[in-house]
Amino acid sequence: MSDVAAAIPAAEGEPNWQRLHPATLALAVVKLGPRSLQFLPAVAALGFTGNWLWIVPAIGAFLLISLAAAWFQWLRFRFLVGDDEVVIESGVFSRQHRTIPFDRIQDVSIEQGLVSRALGIAKVGFETGAGGKENDASLDAIALGSAQALRTTIRAHRSGEVAVPVAADAPEVAPAHEDRLLFAMTPRQLLIAGLFNFSLAALAVVGAGMQFFDGLLPFDFNVFNPMDWIDIDEDYGLDQWLLAHRWIAGVGAALSLLLIGFASGIATMFFANWDFRLTREPRALRRTRGLTTRTDVAVPVKRVQAAILVTGWFRQRFGWHELRLQSLASDGEKERDHQVVPFAKLGAIDPVLNEVAIRRPDAGQSWQHSHRIVALGPIIGAVCATIGGGVALYLGNDVGWLGLVAAPLIALIAFWAARFHRWADLGEQVAIRRGAWKPKMTLLPHASVQSVDLKSDFILRPLGLATLVFGVPGGSSLATHEIPAIPLAAALDLRTRILAARARS
Amino acid sequence: MTDTPAAHPTDPFAPDALNAAEGLDPVAPAYAQVLRVATALNLIPLAIGASVFDALLIRHIEGPYGLITAAAWLIAVLVIVTFPSRRVSRWGYKIGEGQLRVARGWLFRTDTIVPFVRVQHIDVGQGPIERWFGLSHLIVHTSGTHNSTVTLPGLHADLAAAMRETIRRHIQTDFA
Repeated sequence: MSDVAAAIPAAEGEPNWQRLHPATLALAVVKLGPRSLQFLPAVAALGFTGNWLWIVPAIGAFLLISLAAAWFQWLRFRFLVGDDEVVIESGVFSRQHRTIPFDRIQDVSIEQGLVSRALGIAKVGFETGAGGKENDASLDAIALGSAQALRTTIRAHRSGEVAVPVAADAPEVAPAHEDRLLFAMTPRQLLIAGLFNFSLAALAVVGAGMQFFDGLLPFDFNVFNPMDWIDIDEDYGLDQWLLAHRWIAGVGAALSLLLIGFASGIATMFFANWDFRLTREPRALRRTRGLTTRTDVAVPVKRVQAAILVTGWFRQRFGWHELRLQSLASDGEKERDHQVVPFAKLGAIDPVLNEVAIRRPDAGQSWQHSHRIVALGPIIGAVCATIGGGVALYLGNDVGWLGLVAAPLIALIAFWAARFHRWADLGEQVAIRRGAWKPKMTLLPHASVQSVDLKSDFILRPLGLATLVFGVPGGSSLATHEIPAIPLAAALDLRTRILAARARS
Repeated sequence: MTDTPAAHPTDPFAPDALNAAEGLDPVAPAYAQVLRVATALNLIPLAIGASVFDALLIRHIEGPYGLITAAAWLIAVLVIVTFPSRRVSRWGYKIGEGQLRVARGWLFRTDTIVPFVRVQHIDVGQGPIERWFGLSHLIVHTSGTHNSTVTLPGLHADLAAAMRETIRRHIQTDFA
């Protein structure tokens, strides 16, 4: 383990109270970087009013106050790891005292950013299943060794073993005898995954940046402006040749676009999923990943509510899929589900699904389709676009053509994509598929369903259709818990069967 | 559980036909008064606003003064008089074997079922207008992200309390 000293005991005489790692202060300095941006308007104001002399003292005062605040916060933050609870006291002026029993901690996550890794410290987060992210406590940050020891202690307690009290100065890690590697990503797999991760999002960012800096750059050349390329050609007498071979410019542009797309796809994949490991622990699936920011997250198996299989229209032809698990605990601040397999063939995904007792429908599964009426929303949108475009053209604005061209495309795509709304009842669980461009399949065990809505409206009712919406804990942006526009009798029948399921134990 | 709906209710536009066909109990008719007062509190300020707008602006630009005022008040009165009782007749509930069923709306009808086992906690609430008419509303909380709260308004206060007790007993007995 790391030889960095674990958290220093506080000088209060109570030996068990611990402080955060002193390197946390260094982390606070790093965090000052982005924060000082908030200070820019003040500096600008000073500059505009002619008070140049005050700028340096003002920045100095800002840094000093920020550092003092960070130091006070560090000084007033202490925590205690007891036999069966964690106690955290924090706050400079208003003190907060929080007790978290080990029994209530669903999951201990360990996260390390780039700076934290250099300093050998880690942020420890306690998932308690309480609603709202702000309700979950975290220790930001303690030595990596004590973080792992703390997690071992809490896990051991939860598994019903005799809890080994964590010693502040002797980080220990229990041998991972029961842990079993379920899935890992090799650099070669990452490369393939990155190739499929083709994205032009980076291009948009760079392009926007170029637009922004266009006037600031010392040289008058914008990589993204074709006219600039033509200017260069003229300088070198290439223009005549290029005019004869215009397609060369087109091919060059396409190639550079492809290169940027692939490079950004591979880079994001490598940064996010470097050394990806998914292991089965006694009670949870544990995922570690990341090149610069390493995260270590455990998904308690019993908390898994649904599984989501995501693929793409292109990668689907090669059998590549992504598996996400929807759990009560959310993954970080952004995601609301846990990516447990970023990129794999179904053969590698099945063992993971087995662990959470969710079955994937086999190829011979017969699917039931939603009615085509689900395309109605986009088609109405298309009609609106047509009308809007027509009005714009009538008023003499050429932008109107855009609406007229886009409208039939939207309608066609919507009508075509409507075929991909389908569902199947697998006995213990429902499978819902949707999406043509990015097909997603939600595997929802009946027992995860908390409530069922049967919806119909003035369009569905005459057609004898209804929409089923399920209330499932821990929502996800990707998962759909809705079966739109199915025959009323089928909806009623499915509702009855789902409600008959017993709670997931 | 098996609420087999009649194939064709005799008159689909009769106020009670929808609930009767789906085997639901209607909410208290007094809830129409609650809705009426609430709608009035919302619409009358809007109508007053329209009148002021009419008086200040339309008269100023010499438009058809009085048109907007008349239309606003006409619509407001119409909505306040006719809509609440229709809306109330679309609400229905059934407290059945181990589950609560709440249905509402007609243009967009939603029929929600919450098994008692899945209820996290229950609120019985009473606003000032509801208190005036002796009504309460029942709010059932589930742990689902969709439908995390299911509200059933228009219950007599003692009925709401009784329903809360029924559901509460189930939460306790099924707690393992």
